[in-house]
Amino acid sequence: MKCEEIGELLPDYLQGSLKAEQDNLVEQHIEQCADCREEVVIWKKLSLLPMEKPSKESRERFEAMLQAYQTGRNDKASGRIEREKRGSLWSWLRSPVGAVAWSAALLVIGVLAGSYLGNRPVRSNTSQDEIVAIRTELTNMKQMVVLSMLQQQSASERLQAVSYSRREDQLDPQVMSALVHTLRYDGSVDVRLAALDALSRHGAQPQVHKGVVDALQEQQSPLVQVALIDLMLEWRDPDAAQRLRNFVQTPNLNPTVKQRADWALSKLN
Amino acid sequence: MLEVRNGAGETLGVLFDRYHAPLYNFYAKLTGDRTLSDDLVQEVFLRILKYRQSYQPGTPFRAWIYQIARNARVDHYRKTPRHITFEPEMAPPVMPKDTAQQTEETELLHRALMQMPDDKKEILVLSRFQELKYEEIARLLGCELGTVKTRIHRAIQELRQNFKQLERGLAPREAGPTVVKNNPPRRAGNEM
Repeated sequence: MKCEEIGELLPDYLQGSLKAEQDNLVEQHIEQCADCREEVVIWKKLSLLPMEKPSKESRERFEAMLQAYQTGRNDKASGRIEREKRGSLWSWLRSPVGAVAWSAALLVIGVLAGSYLGNRPVRSNTSQDEIVAIRTELTNMKQMVVLSMLQQQSASERLQAVSYSRREDQLDPQVMSALVHTLRYDGSVDVRLAALDALSRHGAQPQVHKGVVDALQEQQSPLVQVALIDLMLEWRDPDAAQRLRNFVQTPNLNPTVKQRADWALSKLN
Repeated sequence: MLEVRNGAGETLGVLFDRYHAPLYNFYAKLTGDRTLSDDLVQEVFLRILKYRQSYQPGTPFRAWIYQIARNARVDHYRKTPRHITFEPEMAPPVMPKDTAQQTEETELLHRALMQMPDDKKEILVLSRFQELKYEEIARLLGCELGTVKTRIHRAIQELRQNFKQLERGLAPREAGPTVVKNNPPRRAGNEM
């Protein structure tokens, strides 16, 4: 065999991953060929180079870095909350969402003032209708605000959106489905819990009811799981018992959650 | 790793325990500079923390960490271009138990490795010292398995030539253990 062919096999030979037959071929060749033999020798000689050991300070530096990173993150987070608290109204008015709400409010004030002044002598039914129409528009606007705020990056803004939605007695189906989506997929446990709380008042809506009950199997957070179990018990959902029985079979279920589910089951029966 | 990805900083400590020594060895063999290697190891763990979301669950973690390690080194040299030197900055530690001949061989081998271009040195270090499988190296370097093997073979050939040349150059002097003295550390604190 030529050195070139051996060269192709050599890396595998050095890692010991050749089949016995090819292994023998290489061995035979390097017995006769000094050049190829030296290649094997130099590879083996590399073991003479000692493992370099990191300095003792390495671990300390790492700990300090970790600490600094975490402190930095907490500072940033708490700084943000502080800022939000201080300038919340102002910054909200300046934000795009605030701008929409603000212009809607101005529009409504303008139209109300106009219709009031214009129709002062006789209060016709038409103006009453107009006011109703404007109210509807305002409600829609508010719901639009909620919808767009639920898309925000910051968890605290999404939380705010959920609490806005609670001010309305009647929710638009679109907002409801957005809240159900939030309950299922929002990254923050706090936001999911708030969404669940907001939805709990709309259990009579089949869409909400189904969304909430379905969410149980998907939730990973024990807090949300317990809140969901409680709500199912409160609603006296017809197939709650069956769903809970399935749920307690979930592998690796948090013991507290399981206990809660068992307790709910005993109440349902 | 999933825990780190999901934000548990403490878990990073476990990763540090497992990987910081191999990573240090990787850098030390590659750069021949201990202070720099220490810095780069820290940089890798900071990057893991920063970019943990970019780790794809289910993919080999070792490949990911070495990818970060390679990038950290490239970025370092981009920021601070190195001086081109032909002498190793780091002398291997003298091991008292070694025979004089072995010490000399170790020294020559170290210098032969340091003389190699970065890409060849890297592939040798990854396969010989970091004990990465050829498949892992191929994934890491983004090339075919066959290419990795060819490149390893070429790197071995070059290492052997470097070694032979050094051996020839040094043979008449019979310097023995005093070789270490011929290579004073470049900066304080760089010596082990």
